[in-house]
Amino acid sequence: MLLCRRLPLRPLQRAFPRSQALTRPYSASTTPPWRPSVILDEWVQRESRPISLRQLTFFGRTLTEARLLSSANYVRLELPTRLAHRLRNMQTLPYAALTNEHVAHVYELYYRAFELFRKVPTVQNLDDNERLCEVLRTALTEHLTVIPRLAMGILEIQDSVSGDECDRFMTTLLRSRISRRVIAEQHLALTETFNSPWHFDGKMSSVAPEDEFVGEIFLKCNAREIVEKCAKRARELTSKAYGNKVTIPEIVLQGHLDTTFPYIPSHLEYILGELLRNSIQGVVEQSGSSQPPPIEVLICEAAQQVIFRISDRGGGIDRDILPYLWSFAKGPRRSKRLKNLGKVPRLAATMQELQLPPSIPDQTENQNEAETLGFGGSSLSSLSARRPDLRLGIGLPMSRIYAEYWAGSLEVHSLEGYGCDAFLQINRLGNKNEVLSTRAAMDGV
Amino acid sequence: MLGLRAVARHSGFSRPATTLITPRARHIQTATVKDADIARLAAKPLHPLTLADLCKHGRPPLSEQALLNSANFTLDILPSRLAHRIQSLRSLPYIVVANPNVSKIHGNYVHSLSTLLPYAERRIETLKEEVQFTEVMADLVQTHSNTIGILARGFLEARKYITAKEVTRFLDEHLRARIGTRLIAEQHIALHFSSKPHNDLSDSEHQNPHAQESTYIGVIDTALKPADIIRRCEATVGEICELNYGVRPTVNIIGHPETEIAHIPMHLEYILTELLKNSFRATIEAGMEKEPIEITIAPAPATEEQTRLLKNKPEQAVQHTEGVITNYDQGSVDYASGSNKPDLSASANIRPLDKNTPGVTIRIRDRGGGVSPENYAKLWEYGFTTFNEDEINDKVSGGNGNSGGTALDAISGGAGGSSSLAGLGYGLPLGRAYAEYFGGGIAVQSMWGWGTDVYLSLRGVGKIG
Repeated sequence: MLLCRRLPLRPLQRAFPRSQALTRPYSASTTPPWRPSVILDEWVQRESRPISLRQLTFFGRTLTEARLLSSANYVRLELPTRLAHRLRNMQTLPYAALTNEHVAHVYELYYRAFELFRKVPTVQNLDDNERLCEVLRTALTEHLTVIPRLAMGILEIQDSVSGDECDRFMTTLLRSRISRRVIAEQHLALTETFNSPWHFDGKMSSVAPEDEFVGEIFLKCNAREIVEKCAKRARELTSKAYGNKVTIPEIVLQGHLDTTFPYIPSHLEYILGELLRNSIQGVVEQSGSSQPPPIEVLICEAAQQVIFRISDRGGGIDRDILPYLWSFAKGPRRSKRLKNLGKVPRLAATMQELQLPPSIPDQTENQNEAETLGFGGSSLSSLSARRPDLRLGIGLPMSRIYAEYWAGSLEVHSLEGYGCDAFLQINRLGNKNEVLSTRAAMDGV
Repeated sequence: MLGLRAVARHSGFSRPATTLITPRARHIQTATVKDADIARLAAKPLHPLTLADLCKHGRPPLSEQALLNSANFTLDILPSRLAHRIQSLRSLPYIVVANPNVSKIHGNYVHSLSTLLPYAERRIETLKEEVQFTEVMADLVQTHSNTIGILARGFLEARKYITAKEVTRFLDEHLRARIGTRLIAEQHIALHFSSKPHNDLSDSEHQNPHAQESTYIGVIDTALKPADIIRRCEATVGEICELNYGVRPTVNIIGHPETEIAHIPMHLEYILTELLKNSFRATIEAGMEKEPIEITIAPAPATEEQTRLLKNKPEQAVQHTEGVITNYDQGSVDYASGSNKPDLSASANIRPLDKNTPGVTIRIRDRGGGVSPENYAKLWEYGFTTFNEDEINDKVSGGNGNSGGTALDAISGGAGGSSSLAGLGYGLPLGRAYAEYFGGGIAVQSMWGWGTDVYLSLRGVGKIG
């Protein structure tokens, strides 16, 4: 990558002071190169158009070529718009923050993606769409390193940027990232459905309604099944990590077990996975080798929401980290987290992509699932490649961002010395728009 | 008329010293309160009060010197607190304070300050002066015993002239400050009754029956068992339920029921009564009275150092670290009068307490169907914001609070009559004020369609082994 680039002076650029147009040697830092901000400015001016789960669902239900192309054009414009907003966020961080190698790396990744997306011409036919999809797939794969990189960068720039600002920044970026991936993955899934041999143009797919996926959205997420699946995975993971000498606690379900609602399963599985894993680890470390008390999961259904309560007796949350529970940047265990983050090369942060390392026999099950859902294939490193005791310290805040993304919430109450209750609330109507950082919020910075 | 009897009961004593009271016929010296006095006193910074402060004069029975110390400590901090309250009231719109109810409260505060002014610039150095001072304290406690009910009605009547938001903000601060003022006064009174000079002076039938118990330091029980208070409240609330609904839910206590903390029984009883009222009513109305209400008592582990200190030198069981109890928690911020953020000076009297002192968390789980989303948004607002016009007229017209409300409402606040808190919707916010006063809190998690989980956390001075 070139550190300096001579650009022909165009009339617009004379508006900028000469020093900015010239190249300069950079002193031992990895600061990204300067690029003319005119192009970015245009895209920053645009508003992002948030969507709701329901819109995504209805849109994808009857797929026609026209609809597919419409979706393609939405994606083509939304992605660079949202990327531009985030790039501007990063550009307005203190300079010192961008000299950090991780932050600079992410900035470069985003800029390249932005350049790539903004140059995609209007999608007018299926071939154009195919080209767009190729671009999407590449970007999705390339950007898998973003989360651990950002997390490391945030921890390292504490001297130049305050903890609160770091948290806000991280939250904004992660929200936007989820949103871009949702849009991209949804479009890829729709394309695949459209191209699949079972699809008849304009008609509903012949798959039975109960199994219906609309792209990435599963219309009938069954609460009990999801919890049981996550519970099984979490118990297996911790069991392998802790070995035979430790009994893994049971996970007991109660409440309205037959609840169903439309959602993107990978999101839900990630959140539940994190919460269950925290609970199991807490209980195991508290009770040692003696019979551990079970973890109770309550599913509660109301007209507009579904609530999961995960209750454990794992000793609660330590007083010294309780104030920083939801923070990416602050807290007394920073250096440990930094070290652990360095050991996780990529983090796609969805349970779909969670795979046990090759030495574990049930990998085939995961691979098939990953393929059926269209993306998130087996070549990705995973959350579980890390040992469960490799604490990264970002599970809770990330889970909250995922929960809040579709207008839900995540709350944790600690009974110090006794245990913890986590409350995950999901909006089941699907009619609330994605939670994004708005232009107004951005400009206010 | 309550007088010292009620105070004494709250403090755990059952026999008042009749030598001290005759209701309203006391001859307490007063001095006229001038604006300059109020301004001068209100300019003094307020520091958060800690349980350690209240314990620092030693365990009862107090010696004469310790008793005088307590009196002087009280004298140091009370006048400026009263002045802050007066100033805060005076900053409300004229037409609000002119309301007869609000005006009465304002007058009460001015009166109390007037009883303390004669002591300005003086120290209390003899036992005789101390006895007089204790009378002043008793007068203060009695005068202000119905403040909340009267204020509530006053604000209801004046609702056209002040926004709900302003009232909420004022009440949040005022009620918290009131907790402190009463606590300081009641503590001194209780210490007085358990002191050596008092025991010497009274005859044996007026001896404090708790003199032999070492767990009380004034109004603080250093070996308070939350489980006991829970059972007491359960009995009271349960009886009323049975009377009214014909059924009563049961309570299961799990976790560590034997836990003890250092706290104020009166406060805990108020909070738990309110919370149990809510749970019981919801459970019965949802038809789930067969499902027990599950209460978990979870003690936070105390460090050994703290436990040792508490046994021997309670006044030293304090840590000077970050996470202090703020002035907001105790209502010392004083929004209304515009004097915010009193700066902390190095006062030897009051030291900040580490907010992270170990305490106890009590979780109350019921199957009462939860709190509806509309009500959840208004959970912490003082009731008047949720009433409609008819209900307000009902309450304002001097109803005894029972018309339209249930019998459960009647057990709010203690004192009966038109100044009771019955049915005014103050229970939860006030309960939270009590819990937060020493760094604890209340959190409510509702699962609409299933039930409610309430988390009550209390910070004490630590665990007594």
